[in-house]
Amino acid sequence: MRSTFMGLEASKRGLYAQQSALYTTGHNISNANTEGYSRQRVNMSPSLGYPGIGLNNPKTAGFIGTGVEVSSVERIRDSFIDKQYRQETNKLGYWESRSNAVTQMEDILNEPSEYGLAKSLDQFWNSLQDLNVNPEDGGARAVVVQRAVAVADSFNYMYNSISQIKENTGAEIGILLKDANSVLQQIASINEQIQAVEPNGYMPNDLYDARDTLLDELSSYFPIETTNVPSGGNSLANAEGSVTVSIKINGDTIKLVDGKDFAQLRNSSSNTAEDGVTPTNMVTGLHIVKINSNGTETYLNNDWSIRGTKTVNDINDFSNLGKFKSLVESYGYSTDGTEDVTKESGLFPDMLNNLNKLAQAFATQFNEAHAEGSDINGKKGQVFFVNKSTELGTEVTAGNIYVSENLLKDPNLIAASDSPGEDLTAVPPITANPEPGNGKNALNLANFKTDTISALGDISVQTYFEGLIGQLGVDGQEASRMLYNTQSLQQAVTERRSSVSSVSLDEEMTNMITFQQAYNANARMITVIDETLEKIINGMGRVGL
Amino acid sequence: MRVTQSMLSSNMLRNLSNSYSKMGKLQNQIETGKKVTRPSDDPVVAMKGIGYRTELNNVEQFSRNIGEAYNWLDTTDDTLDKVNSALQRANELMVQASSDTTTSDDRKKIDGELQQLREHIQNLANTQVGNRYIFSGTKTTTPPYQNGVGYVTGSNPEESIDPSFEKSIEIEVFDGIMLKVNTTPIQLLNDIDKMFNDIGKDIKAGTTGADLSKYITTIDSNMNELLTTRADIGARQNRVELMDSRLQSQEIIATSRMSENEDIDYEKTITDFITQESIHTAALSMGSKIIKPTLVDFL
Repeated sequence: MRSTFMGLEASKRGLYAQQSALYTTGHNISNANTEGYSRQRVNMSPSLGYPGIGLNNPKTAGFIGTGVEVSSVERIRDSFIDKQYRQETNKLGYWESRSNAVTQMEDILNEPSEYGLAKSLDQFWNSLQDLNVNPEDGGARAVVVQRAVAVADSFNYMYNSISQIKENTGAEIGILLKDANSVLQQIASINEQIQAVEPNGYMPNDLYDARDTLLDELSSYFPIETTNVPSGGNSLANAEGSVTVSIKINGDTIKLVDGKDFAQLRNSSSNTAEDGVTPTNMVTGLHIVKINSNGTETYLNNDWSIRGTKTVNDINDFSNLGKFKSLVESYGYSTDGTEDVTKESGLFPDMLNNLNKLAQAFATQFNEAHAEGSDINGKKGQVFFVNKSTELGTEVTAGNIYVSENLLKDPNLIAASDSPGEDLTAVPPITANPEPGNGKNALNLANFKTDTISALGDISVQTYFEGLIGQLGVDGQEASRMLYNTQSLQQAVTERRSSVSSVSLDEEMTNMITFQQAYNANARMITVIDETLEKIINGMGRVGL
Repeated sequence: MRVTQSMLSSNMLRNLSNSYSKMGKLQNQIETGKKVTRPSDDPVVAMKGIGYRTELNNVEQFSRNIGEAYNWLDTTDDTLDKVNSALQRANELMVQASSDTTTSDDRKKIDGELQQLREHIQNLANTQVGNRYIFSGTKTTTPPYQNGVGYVTGSNPEESIDPSFEKSIEIEVFDGIMLKVNTTPIQLLNDIDKMFNDIGKDIKAGTTGADLSKYITTIDSNMNELLTTRADIGARQNRVELMDSRLQSQEIIATSRMSENEDIDYEKTITDFITQESIHTAALSMGSKIIKPTLVDFL
């Protein structure tokens, strides 16, 4: 026999369930604009019918419904889309950072323009042509020296500015790894909380969301792979468990977070390095360490077994892209994982090397041509472009190329004439025979801009520089095209994810009405039962009253 | 597909920012008049641009060099013309002097004028363009004629002429095309000077008219040689003029090639800009209509 008040109980459950749903709707509306929030749904299911199953259960016809119960509150999310999202974010992170690096370099080289190296080379050439026409003119000579200073300045400026952004990129790598390390720690801490909550039969939806947001962030840095590990105990069937995060390196995966344990990333192989993450030289690879309770660090193997020597995970082995790889590729890395400087490659180091090569070939060739001639007093041409610190024509780089101090002081030393310079050691000795009106060597110097140089691979300074700009342009174009493509792809995935998980206010409003009305109906039901009971209590057994 | 407010607003934001970046690019193009502002906009255009700029720069420099070549050649021609006039006058005087009717006193007067002509030619030999002696070969800061020394350098007047005084000065007027701009008639000037010297001596010595008449031939031969030199200058002047007109057309070609390569087509770019602007306005007004209402507004 069922209880008299059974209907009241059933409707009360209804009230509670609808109320939970209504509150969850409120939660959804409140979080409509929360980054990484996925909408939640109250899963309702009918509570067990009456009577319960048993040998001595009352014999009544069938089960009578006992109302509703909230089985779980679930977030609506598609983990497959998450996976896609992270893959695209990874690519986007790479191309965004690469496009940024190339853009910065383009800004520095500033071509095509009226102010770049090409222009200062042109002006230098003009001044030498003018010197050829007016070799005895002090003004023309002074202009040549100043134009040469401008060329040297252009080289210095480009070299220093690119070195500067290279340093900045190094600092960015440091910040990125610090950030990644902090994210790893946070994921581990969320895992720990989830492991504590789930075995009690709860669904920590908001913790899942927080963890997914962190994973999204991590995936923009480097390619990651995640696997879920159930927490056990009384966990619900659809509980997600803790997550194991691995970094993907050349088909291999290296665990970074395992439950509440986490590893930290270092770019340096030495514990004594300043902060372990900001590179000071080219990047050789990634190292994983464990932070001990006393704050010391132990370097780990890929499988987290502890070993004394350091493991290097070569940056070349990164199977996918990511911001970290792009930053390292810009900053400079070792192509074979060793610290051999000749194995350095990268966007900035390559450009610096090319500029050095150009400056060196330019200076050497120019100095040679200059030594062929004689100055206004018939003396042999001196070294023209020098290494700023040694004042010698050797080891000239883009960073230190400068016009020799002597020529700066006395432009008459420019060897504009092609007459043989004074050489008292020659047999027979050549005495100084000044030819102030002879500007033929100035012309040789001018023409060497278009002469091929073997050190540059038999092309001229002009062509070599054009080649550098062309390469940079192609790199930049590729980066911005890929950026656009990956952005569209990521946008498409984001859209799909929003379509599944984001809060729709219209939907929530409709749900609100649904749940509110259901709540009202339940309340009405209680009134109905109240009235039926009223009939029993107050209206029965009062025949004739 | 389920579509939510956040999707609409993020789409709208993305489209608006795309539209802004397109407008920004067009605006940049209109303001600078250039198709590319950085190599990645179009690597080929950028690379070619550097080449064309250099080419145009070269042509401009060569035009400047041509101006200098004109200056040299015109001055040289003009100076030698004056030398020629002086020689003509000397010729007339010598014809007069060699006549037997001319008295020895008259001859001395004629010699006086001849020596003035000699000095005139010496001055002409020291003609300068700017501060350069044009007849000094590559020793442009040394006057070819020095008082008491003559047309030679060094302390010994008997010494042969320093070869530097006969070196040519060449100016590049086009890629690899050199033009000799100076003339080195120092030997000729020296000969003329010597001739005047000899005439003076002979007249002072009272040589007869018949003997003096041989100088008429000498003057003639010197004038002939001068004429040859001037013909050469004339030929070079012609060449410079040809080069000049070639450079002018080259400049136009180089400029238009550079412009074709990197300048925008204003009509097209402005039309594109206006189109983009109207798309942007439409996107904005539609956006404000779509984003605003939700069911909340109607409940």
